[in-house]
Amino acid sequence: MKEEKTQVADIDRSLYDFRYEEDERDYLGSGITADIIKEISDEKGDADWMREFRLKSMEIYNKTPMVEWGPSIEGLDIDNIVTYIRTKSRMNTDWNDVPDDIKNTFEKLGIPQAERESLAGVGAQYDSELVYHNVRKEVAESGVVYTDLESAMHDERYAEMIHTHFMKLVPPTDHKFAALHGAVWSGGSFVYVPKGVRLEIPLQSYFRLNAKGAGQFEHTLIILEEDSYLHFIEGCSAPKYYEAGLHAGCVELYVGKNATLRYSTIENWSKNMYNLNTKRALVDEGGKIEWVSGSFGSHVSYLYPMSILNGRGARAEFTGITFAGEGQNLDTGAKIVHNAPDTSSYMNTKSISKSGGISTFRSAVTVNEKAAGSKSAVSCESLMLDRISRSDTIPVMDIRTDKADVGHEAKIGRISDETVFYLMSRGLSEEEAKAMIVRGFADNVSKELPLEYAVEMNNLIGLEMKGSIG
Amino acid sequence: MSQLLEIKDLTAGVEEKELLHSVSLTVGAGETHVLMGPNGAGKSTLGSVIMGSPEYAVSGGRLFFEGEDITDDSADKRAKRGIFLSFQNPVEIAGVTLSEFLRNALEQVTGKHLKLWDFKKKLRSCMEILGMDASYADRDLNVGFSGGEKKKAEILQLLVLEPKLAILDETDSGLDVDAVKTVSAGIDEYKKRTGGSLIVITHNTKILEALRVDKTHILAAGQIAAEGGAELVDEVITNGFEKYIKGGK
Amino acid sequence: MEKIILNKLPVPTFGWLKVNSAERDAAAFGTGKEREVLLADGSRAELSGGRSVFEVTAAENEKTSAVIYISGSEGKELTTNVKAAAGAEVKLVQVYENSGPAIGSVNADIAENAAFELVQLYIGGKDTVSGIYADLAGRNSRFKADIGYLLDGDEKLDINLVASHAGKKSQSEISVKGMMRGSSEKTFRGTIDFLNGSSGAKGAENEEVLLLDETVRNKTVPLILCAEEDVEGSHGASIGRIDEAQIFYMQSRGIPVDKIYELTARSRIAQVVSKISDKDTADRVNAILTGGEEDG
Repeated sequence: MKEEKTQVADIDRSLYDFRYEEDERDYLGSGITADIIKEISDEKGDADWMREFRLKSMEIYNKTPMVEWGPSIEGLDIDNIVTYIRTKSRMNTDWNDVPDDIKNTFEKLGIPQAERESLAGVGAQYDSELVYHNVRKEVAESGVVYTDLESAMHDERYAEMIHTHFMKLVPPTDHKFAALHGAVWSGGSFVYVPKGVRLEIPLQSYFRLNAKGAGQFEHTLIILEEDSYLHFIEGCSAPKYYEAGLHAGCVELYVGKNATLRYSTIENWSKNMYNLNTKRALVDEGGKIEWVSGSFGSHVSYLYPMSILNGRGARAEFTGITFAGEGQNLDTGAKIVHNAPDTSSYMNTKSISKSGGISTFRSAVTVNEKAAGSKSAVSCESLMLDRISRSDTIPVMDIRTDKADVGHEAKIGRISDETVFYLMSRGLSEEEAKAMIVRGFADNVSKELPLEYAVEMNNLIGLEMKGSIG
Repeated sequence: MSQLLEIKDLTAGVEEKELLHSVSLTVGAGETHVLMGPNGAGKSTLGSVIMGSPEYAVSGGRLFFEGEDITDDSADKRAKRGIFLSFQNPVEIAGVTLSEFLRNALEQVTGKHLKLWDFKKKLRSCMEILGMDASYADRDLNVGFSGGEKKKAEILQLLVLEPKLAILDETDSGLDVDAVKTVSAGIDEYKKRTGGSLIVITHNTKILEALRVDKTHILAAGQIAAEGGAELVDEVITNGFEKYIKGGK
Repeated sequence: MEKIILNKLPVPTFGWLKVNSAERDAAAFGTGKEREVLLADGSRAELSGGRSVFEVTAAENEKTSAVIYISGSEGKELTTNVKAAAGAEVKLVQVYENSGPAIGSVNADIAENAAFELVQLYIGGKDTVSGIYADLAGRNSRFKADIGYLLDGDEKLDINLVASHAGKKSQSEISVKGMMRGSSEKTFRGTIDFLNGSSGAKGAENEEVLLLDETVRNKTVPLILCAEEDVEGSHGASIGRIDEAQIFYMQSRGIPVDKIYELTARSRIAQVVSKISDKDTADRVNAILTGGEEDG
C-alpha cells in the first residue's frame, strides 16, 4: 500500500507543479472562512487530523484557479460558495418549494411519495433501511463492511484504514473542486471487501439515500482486498434535486491484486445542478475496474472517471452514455493511465445531443514508459438529433513506449431517415421510432446494468426524447 | 364497393427526377397481384411510395385505402391502417431485439397491450412456420443477418402483424431454393390466416409458383406498360420485357 | 527570448496533457524580412532559410500544382496561402527535409466545387512546427491531405491540422502515416470541425503510426467538433499496431517480426510518397528514404 501511495503522489506532483507554474491569477475570494469549516468539523466530531485536513483543503481551494477548458460555470456563484454548503441547520427544503417539473418527473417514473421527498432533499427520513435490512444480513455474513463513511471514521476497526486512504487517490491539490470537497465533504459510503470475498449481489448507494448529510459533497471510499469481487451501484434514474445546485462529490476506489470492482452509475441530477464530480480507481496487479456510467441530468457536468493501472496485467473497462438535452452542457469522458506492463484498457462511449444540448467527450489515454506490452482500445460514437445541438469529441493519446498497441475510433452522425421510415412502416410514430433507436443506441450501457436499472434508464431516455424531463 | 387499394394517376419522384408517371392501379380485398418489370422500372419506388417513404415526393395523383385518401398520411398511420412493406434491404437496428421490436409494432398496429406470454407464444409459432431458430428473437434486429435471414425476418413480421395489404419487395431475390420454399410457405400461411391482399414485386418468378395470381402489372420506365391475368407472368417468363421497354414510353 | 504560441488546439483540453498548444522561441525559427513568392502552376520552390510567404492561387476552374522543398540547417519560417476559386483544383506538395528548426503554415481557402490536395512529408526536421488550416467555405468544396513522417534521433514534430467545414456537402479526407524511432517526439492534432450550416458534409481522418524504439514519445489528438445534424464524421488512430493477419502472412514468408514493423512503416510512407507527381522531387525523397537501408 505504501508503494502505491508514492506512485499516486508521483502522478499528482506533476499536476500540482504544472498548475502552480501557470498560476498568475490572484486567488479568488471564496466566501468560505475557517469558521465555517470549524463549524462543520465540530458538528461531525472530526478527529484532529480531519479538522486539519479540512482547513488545509480550504487554503488550497482559495489558491487554486478554475481550469481554462470545459463548460462555463459562470452560473455558479463562486464568490458566495458558502451558500452552497448546507450544514445541518440549513438542510430542510420544503416540499412546496420543490419545482413542479421535478415533481412531474417523479410522477412519470412512478416513484413512491416517500422516496420523492427523500430524493428532493426534504428532511423526511425515507426508510430505505427496510429495503436494505434484508440485504444487510447477507452482506454482514460475508464479511463485507458497508456503512456510512462518517461513522466508519469513528469506528476503531476502520479509522486507521480510512485515514491511510482518504483523499490520497484524489488529493485536494488535484483541482479546485477537489479542494472544496476536502474542506466541506459530508456523508457518503465506506465499503471494505476482505480478501477472497466475492459478493454476488450488488451493493446500492440508494440504500443509504438519506444517510447523514446531503448528498452533494459526499465521499465514497471502497477498498477491495486481493481476489475479491464487488458490484457497487450509485445513483438512480430519479432526478436528485438540491436547491443549492452544486454537487462536488468524490469517489475513491482501491482495487487489490486480482480483484474486480464493477462501479455502475446512473446520474440524473436536476437541471439546475453543477455536477463537478471526481472519481478515481487505483488498480493493482491483475485487478480490474469496470465502470458503467449513464449521465443524464445536471445543467453542467465535469465527469471523467480515472483509472490508474498500477500493477502488471491490471485492466480497466469503461462503458458510458451521456445524453445532453435542452440547457445542458455535459462534459464527460474518462482518463486511463497505464503505469505497469501488460495492462489493458477498453472504452466504449456514446453520446446524444438534443434540443440545443451540448455534449463533449473528453478523454486521455496515457501509456507510460513502464507500460510495455499494454493495449488500449477506445470507441466513441455520437448522435446528433437536430441542428441546434452540439457534440464535440476531444480525445488525447500520449504514448511513451514502443511496445504498446493503441487504437481509437470515433464516429458522429444522425439517425438515418431510412431507419426511421422502417420503424414507422411498422406502426411506430416518428417520435416513438426515434426513441426506440436512441434506446438501442444506449444499449452499450443498459445491457451492463441490472434489469431494474436498465428499465429505469430506458424510461428516462423515453422522457428525455419527449422533452418532458424536469 | 370500393377496392382495398386504389392508386389514381400517381406521379412521384425525387428532387432531381420523376420516377413514376401517372400510375394507376387497384387491388381488391383478398387478391394477389404481381408487379413485374425490368430493372430501374420503378417497382420498388412504387412499393415505397405506397408505404409512405419520405424519400419520395408525390407531385400528382392520390392514393386511397379502404376508400379513404391516405396520400398525406405518414408511414406509421398507413401501418396502422393495415399496410405492410417487406423491404428489399432491411436496415439493421443495433440495441433493439427482434422480439422487443415486434412486440412494440404489434401493440401499435392493434392498439392493444399484449401480455408478454401471449406475444412470445405467437412469435414462437410464427418462427416455427418459417423454420427460424428461436435464438433469433433475442438478436438485435437484422444485425449481422445474412440476406436470406433478413428476408425471413421480414416475412416473420408479416405473419405476426397480419396486415390487410402486404407489399413484398423482391422478397425472393438472393434466396436459395429452400429459402424460397420457406418464405413461400410463410406467405401462404399469411393468406390462409388473414385472407389479406398481396402485391408481389419481383423480376423473377420462383416465388409465384405457390401463389394464385389474380392480376399482373408490368411496370416499365415508371409507367404501367401492360396489365393482365396470371397468363401475363408466363408470357414474360418466355419473352422477357423487351417489348415493354421499346413500346412503352 | 520572444515566446510565441503556435498550433493552438481549437478546443483546449486537460492542461496536464500539454497538448493545447506549442510554445517556441521565435528567434530560432528564422529572422529577417519576409520574402513573397508567387508560385505558378508546375513550379518548384526550395527554401533553406529565412522567412517566406508563398502564394498558390488557382482561378475559376483552373488547375495548379506546386512543390515546396524545405531543407538546410538554418532556422526558417514559411507561410503558404492557397486559394482555390470556384471549380478550381490545387495540389501542393511540401517536403520537410530540414535539419534545423522550421515553422510552416498552410492556409487554404477552398471555394464552391473546388478541391485542394495537400501532400506533406516530414523526413528530416530538428524541430518542425506545422499548421494546416483548410477553410472549406464553398458548397461541395473538397480537401484531401496525405501526410507522412519519419522521425529519428531527437527530432521533434508538432502538427496542427484543422479542416473547417462551412460549406454544404463539403468533404475532407485526412490520412497521416508515420514511423518514429530514437527519442523522437511528435504531437499530431487533427480537427474536423462541422460548423452549423454544413449539412451534407463528410469528414474522415485517420492516423497510423508505428513506434520502433522505446524512447519515443507520441501524442495524438484527433478532434471532431460538430454543430450540424446532417453530417458524417469519423476518425481513427492506430498507434503501434499492425493487423495480426498481416504479421502472420509476412512471417509465413520468412520475415522476422521486428523487420515486419520496419517494412510496414516504410511501405506506409511510400504510399504517401507515391502521391508526389513531380518525378524529380519523388526521386530526391526516395533517395533519402532508402539511403539508410542495409539490404538492397
